[in-house]
Order: sequence, then structure tokens, then C-alpha cells
Amino acid sequence: MSKTITIDGLAVPFQEGQTIMDAALASGVYIPHLCHNPEFKPHGSCKLCTVNVNGRNVASCTMPAVEGQQVLSDIAELNADRLALTQMLFVEGNHLCPACEKTGNCQLQAVAYYLGMMSPHYNHFYPQREADASHPDVMLDRNRCIYCELCVRASREVDGKNVFGLSGRGIKTLLVVNSASGLLGDTDLAVTDKAAHVCPTGAILIKRHGYAVPIGQRVFDHITIKDVQTGGGDE
Amino acid sequence: MSENKVRIATCSLAGCFGCHMSLLDIDERLFGLIELVEFDRSPLTDIKRCGPCDIGIVEGGVCNAENVHVLKEFRKNCKVLVAIGACAINGGVPAMRNNIDLWDCFQEVYCYEGGLECGQIPNDPELPLPFDKVHPISEVVKVDYFLPGCPPSGDAIWKFLTDLLNGREPKLDYEMLHFD
Amino acid sequence: MTFELETAANPEGLKRVVIEPVSRVEGHGKVTLLLDDDNRVHQARFHIVEFRGFEKFIQGRPYWEVPVIVQRLCGICPVSHNLGAAKAMDMIVGAQLTPTAEKLRRLMHLGQVLQSHALHFYYLASPDLLFGFGSDVARRNIVGVAAAYPDVARQGVALRKYGQEVIRLTSGKRIHGTGAIPGGVNKNLSPEERDILLKDIDQMIAWSRDAVELIKKIYCDQADFHNGFGYFKSCFMSLVRDDGALDLYHGGLRARDEHGQTIFDHVDYSNYWDYIHEEVRSWSYMKFPFIRSRGREEGWYRVGPLARINNCDFIPTPLAETERKTFKAFGGGSATQSTLAYHWARMIEMLHCAEGIQGLLHDADLLGTDLVSRGERALRGVGVIEAPRGTLIHHYRINEDELIVRANLIVSTTHNNQAMNEAVRQVALQYLDGQKLTEGLLNHIEVAIRAFDPCLSCATHAVGKMPLEVELVDAGGNIIDRLNKNSDGRCDA
Repeated sequence: MSKTITIDGLAVPFQEGQTIMDAALASGVYIPHLCHNPEFKPHGSCKLCTVNVNGRNVASCTMPAVEGQQVLSDIAELNADRLALTQMLFVEGNHLCPACEKTGNCQLQAVAYYLGMMSPHYNHFYPQREADASHPDVMLDRNRCIYCELCVRASREVDGKNVFGLSGRGIKTLLVVNSASGLLGDTDLAVTDKAAHVCPTGAILIKRHGYAVPIGQRVFDHITIKDVQTGGGDE
Repeated sequence: MSENKVRIATCSLAGCFGCHMSLLDIDERLFGLIELVEFDRSPLTDIKRCGPCDIGIVEGGVCNAENVHVLKEFRKNCKVLVAIGACAINGGVPAMRNNIDLWDCFQEVYCYEGGLECGQIPNDPELPLPFDKVHPISEVVKVDYFLPGCPPSGDAIWKFLTDLLNGREPKLDYEMLHFD
Repeated sequence: MTFELETAANPEGLKRVVIEPVSRVEGHGKVTLLLDDDNRVHQARFHIVEFRGFEKFIQGRPYWEVPVIVQRLCGICPVSHNLGAAKAMDMIVGAQLTPTAEKLRRLMHLGQVLQSHALHFYYLASPDLLFGFGSDVARRNIVGVAAAYPDVARQGVALRKYGQEVIRLTSGKRIHGTGAIPGGVNKNLSPEERDILLKDIDQMIAWSRDAVELIKKIYCDQADFHNGFGYFKSCFMSLVRDDGALDLYHGGLRARDEHGQTIFDHVDYSNYWDYIHEEVRSWSYMKFPFIRSRGREEGWYRVGPLARINNCDFIPTPLAETERKTFKAFGGGSATQSTLAYHWARMIEMLHCAEGIQGLLHDADLLGTDLVSRGERALRGVGVIEAPRGTLIHHYRINEDELIVRANLIVSTTHNNQAMNEAVRQVALQYLDGQKLTEGLLNHIEVAIRAFDPCLSCATHAVGKMPLEVELVDAGGNIIDRLNKNSDGRCDA
């Protein structure tokens, strides 16, 4: 007999060692998230997946599932927090969707759509951030980095390299690359590396592919990120 | 001109007029709309100053002193102020200049280009003072509603306006909510 | 051709009259007049008061993003910017377009010109032409037209809608789509999509013919008045096809002088700067281009529908070609220099677009699947296209990392800068000089500007000579931006 937790009143089975997020994803229950990707070790940094477990707010991507947990996720209070966090991500970087080739395929944008974000609410920082196009096949645009470290984890855990890392703290945090020059072109990143393909936003892009997919056929044009990530919807 | 029609003013600040074009993308629904509303100041009319209105729709961000003047005129006169499109909401594509020194921008365009004669920065008093950054309109005045998109589609604008005109809280379907 | 009235000899003591904003045009512009005590006009200027700096801020962006970013210059003719930049990027990626890609782009562009011309004529200009230049301001708009001439308004709305649908089906979106990419397009037309467009095309051609008849009737019913309104002579420039035909998508540059004599012809546009230079004047953010060989004072010219219809040897669609011949014959050629003849020429072009769309929709290449081509990489690209308002030049250079390092854009309305000023001054002398100014009289100035269908979106406001400090204060009273304008005009943030 499998163990279960309940999420918003729904019984969700889990196996020993799974997190609440793992169990939810396996059962097709969507908990909004940006820094989590089931292929990599959880990171717990974006806090979008915060849920209420037996009265306490915790990150569901790092919290182990334990028999009998009462989890609240899709409730107004938590969704309001998620919206605020998403809005902060938008104003902290330079996320100008009309000028970004990731638009329509971007998870940050898709989460904002899912949460019904009509404006960024907070005042924009318009930070000074650099783009790096020195690599022949991959472009790094720090304007759109949300510091999820998916590229860091993919490079380390899957590619067996150590191309990306975060440097600095707070608002001065910066995505850096592992080369003496500080340029992506001088790292051992290959276009086939996992790290070149996991960015949820438009910060790491394969060169010369922008806008190749027409509007209407992009990932989130007709289906929500909830349905994409839980396999729901009518694809 | 009917007394009980809803009065709407529209303007474009630092935008491309795409949102106004998208308003016209309601196509033949325009004929139904003008049974319900009348237009005050708008690029589509020859009324040059905004009078008392029920709804003000502002496209474009704030990039110069004249934009501030017009925006405040709208806020003062309009009961409900709507920021339409990416530029009004977060500065949009013109905000790409926010990380560049304005002086460099001017130099590039008016002094350095090949094939240029009499290079100089235009500086006549008739030209309004530019700001060094493009600002969302909500940084300057209180905004009641935001309608995102670059531009929002004609269908999104129609849904938004009909909700508002019918006293409903405007709500967009998933397919109508876009930032691009 | 003179620069009379550009700058008053003694501006002190003159009255300033300002028309701001210029309405029923796209973008931000204003007109200033300086008048003496007898209302004699001493200075008249049409200013572009916006500056957005696209040429600077796209530097550092990868070339494949640029066609989508720069179309945000304009919400009325985004496709023209998208295609102008894409053509430049074709050179950068060394592409020879496949037939499918070129025909889809041509279809998209015909849809663009059709909808823009319909927008301009029905929504923006027709109130002046149907009600009179000095008519009641409350009625002088599309709502007034819908009330008084419902059939005309409905045809205008339907024509614009059709053009927008052509754009949507080829680029994914009515405004700011993503159809053209470096080396080709990202989608073809499905048979279903083609059939949607085919269903209504005959009606669109019929209504476009009605539009030509309507403007012809309006124009010719008061031929002397319309011929003489804001009349002046100038050079004309446009693209023409190798055989001299009207071509809105591609060709060589042709310029003719005010007597119809050729200045240059079939010029490869990638060397445009050998033929065109630009002058900056202190009082406008829009530059003043001129034909180099004729110099700054004699070399200015007009672009757009009037220039294209005058410059081409023929129109390659039959109905529009018939109308072109009628147009040329009218008034022994005087109409071909008249400011208001722009409207007539524009409607002939709209008919050409509808015919051209019909022709393309029967071409099986539109359904082809070979969409993109690539060849030898170059570091420089120039794209020129005939946008609804005239010749549009996009010029880019990239570095080895594929990022833009320089850009120069000469948009259609910029070419017409001097001509619009000339029209304003002619109308000021003809109708305002010595008169008591009324709203209706001032609208005459705007009527002249509207004839050019100016697209003023591509510019910002600047810096006077007086030291000045401006603070931008937010809704809560906090200063969020501050600018000091020094006496040398330089700004300190």
C-alpha cells in the first residue's frame, strides 16, 4: 500500500525519498515553479513553489513528502505571493518580452500568464547587464537571467563540466562563466551540452534560431504552463 | 452626441501607435462601439486637449517632459485610466535605451553617421526635454487598469472594453493575455 | 524651391501659434507659426518632437533579433520594417530567397500596404475630403464618416481588416508578427489559410475600385482647388523593378527632377549613401535627406504613393495600370505634382495591392515548404523596401560575434521632411496669411501634412538652449528622474 499526502484535498501517492514537488508532478498536480526541473537536484531558490504544509510555508521542491501531510497550494494567499515574486523577477532584470526571441516559449512569461499578471507592479530597476556572444553557437544575455542555476546544475551534473556559476550577492548577483577571460567563447561549453538548453528564460540561447517557430506554434501559445508541465490540456 | 454616452480619450506617448491600431482591429465592432461611446481627445479626432472623460487610454511610456504634461492632463480628466500595451506598462522596446547614456544616443544618431551633413544635436526650444530613461506611466500617475501586450489583440481590447462598459471587472482569457 | 519661411529674419515680437498635436496622423508632430501683428506669416515649421534612438539601442543585439525589434518603430507599417530589416539580414546570411519565401514576403507586404492605405484614407484623411477642410471639428473623424457615409466607412473597415488578416496569416499576428526571418520566412500558407483569403479577394478588388472612383470624383469635382492646394514642385524618388514597373518589395532606386528628367536610375540600393545624404537641423528630430548631386537646397525630394505612381513606367496589374494612365492624363500632368494627388495615387496603389494579392493567392509556391536559405556570411547588410509611405532604408553592420555594431535607418517620412515643411508653408501663405486664424483654417495646415500620411513615430523630444532643470515626480511625490539642460544643450542626468 503506497503512502499518500493530500494536496488541496486531493490524495497524492508518493514513494520514499520523493519531495512534495516530485509527488505532485508524478500525479499531474501543478505547483508553480521556475528554478525546479525534475532532471536536476532541487535548488529551492525561486520560492514560487512554496506551499503550506500542516500550517507552515515551505518550498515544495525541497520538502520531503511524509505520510499524512496536509498540503495547501492553489489558494489565494499563496498565489498572491507567487504573483509578487514573479513581478519582482520581472522588474529586477530587463525582461522586455516584445524584444526577446524566447517569448512564447519562456517559463517566466508563462508563469506570469498562469498567475494572471497584468503589470509588473513594482518599479523597474533597469539594471545594466551585459550580453556575451563570444561563443560561436551559444549566446548569453544576462538581462534575462533569473539566477535559477539550472544551467549551473546541468553543466555540473549532466555535462560533467563546470561552465556556469553565480557570483556576488543580492541585487549584485551575476551569472559568470568559467574562463580566464570571463567570456563564454573561452569555456568548454558545447552547443550539444544540456546546459545550453535548460534556461527557462531567454538568458541562454542557441544562436541564429530566433523566431524560427511561428506564433501559434510556440510552447505556451495555446496551453498554460500548468498543462505543459503536468501533461494536461489538449495538445 | 448623446448625453449618456461613455466618453473615452486616448493618446500615445512614447509608443508606436500599434495599440491604437489594435483598437481599430476590433474591425466592424467599431460601429457597435460608437453607439455606446464617444471619443474625446484622440489621434483619431481633432480634439487637441482632453476634457472630462469616463475612460482614458494611454499607450506608450514617458520619455520626455511633454509626455508628463499630457499624462497628467489625462489623469486629471479621466475617471478611469488604463495603461495599454508593453510601453505604457514597463517602457517596452523604447526602454532598451535605458541602459545607454542619452548623450551617446543623440551623438550616434545626429553626429556620427556616414552621409550626414551639419551634424548637431537638435536643440530648439520647441522640442520637449527628453528624459534619460523611458518610464512606465504608473511611475508618474496612478493607473487603474493595465492591459498588456505588444500590442494587446483587438479581441483582448474588445473584451476589456466591453467588460468595463458593462460594469464588470475586466478579465482576459488565457489566449488574450500576452506580453508580446 | 525655396526655404522661404523656414526661419524668420526677426523672430522677436512675432506671435507664436502652435498646432499640437497634429492629429489624424501616426506619431508625434507639431507645427509652429510665427506671425506679425497683421497675421502675416514669417515662419512656419513642421517639427518632429520625438526621439527614440533605435539606431543606438539595437547595437549589441544579435542580428536575428533585429527584424522583430525594429518593427516596433511603427504600429501601422510594422511589416515594412520587419521586411526592410529582414532584407538586410538576407545579405548578412548570404541568402538567395526561395520562391516560397519571396512570394510569402511579397504577399505579407501587399497586405501591409493595403491595410495602411485603407487606414489612412478612410480613418484619417476622408473626414477632411468628405466634410470639408474647415468643417465642424466634432464631426471631422471616422465616427462622423460612419454616421454620414456608412457604406464608405464599412468598406474602409473591411478593406483594412482584410489587409490585417493577410498579415496575420503570413506573420502570426496582425501587428508585430514574426514572419520574416534572416534568409526567408518561418511559415508558409496552408491551403485552408489561402482559401480564407481567396474567399473575399474579389470583393476587396471591387471596393478598391470604388475607392479610386471616390477619390477621383472628390478630386476632380473641385480640380482647380485640389490641384492648387499646397502646390509645389519637387524631385521624386522610389524603387522600380528592372523593367521600370511599380514594385513595392524590391528594385533599384530611381530619382527624377521636377521636370521629369532622370537624376539616377536602377541604382543598387546597397550603395544608397553615394546618392543620398542627410542634413540635421536644430529644430527637428527628423533629419532632412537630399540627393547628393543636387545639394542640400535643390536636392530634396518626395517619396510615397505619388512618387511611385509618377516614377514607374507602368503598374504590372491591369486595373491599377488603367487608373495610372487616367491619373497621368488628368490635367496634363499638373496633378502629378499636387500635394492632394497623394490621396489619388494612394488609392491606385491600394487597388494594385488587391490585384497583386489575388495573383499571388493563385500561386502554388505559397504552399511550398522550402522556407529558408543561407549562404556566405557578410558583415554588412542593406535592405530597402517601398513602405506604404515611401522608400524605407535599413542598413546594419555586425561584428564577428554576430552583434549589431552600427545601424542607420532612413524611414519613409524622413524623406518627405522638407516636402511636408514646404506644403505647410504653401498652405500658410495661401490660406492663413493675413487672416484671422480659426480652428478650421489651422486644419488646412494639417490637411496638407495628412496628404503625406506621415508616420512620425520614429523620433524624441530634446533640449533647448536655456539652462533648465526638469524633475520627474512620481505619484507619491518622489523624484524619479532629473535632467539638467545646460546652455550648450548638453544634458546631465
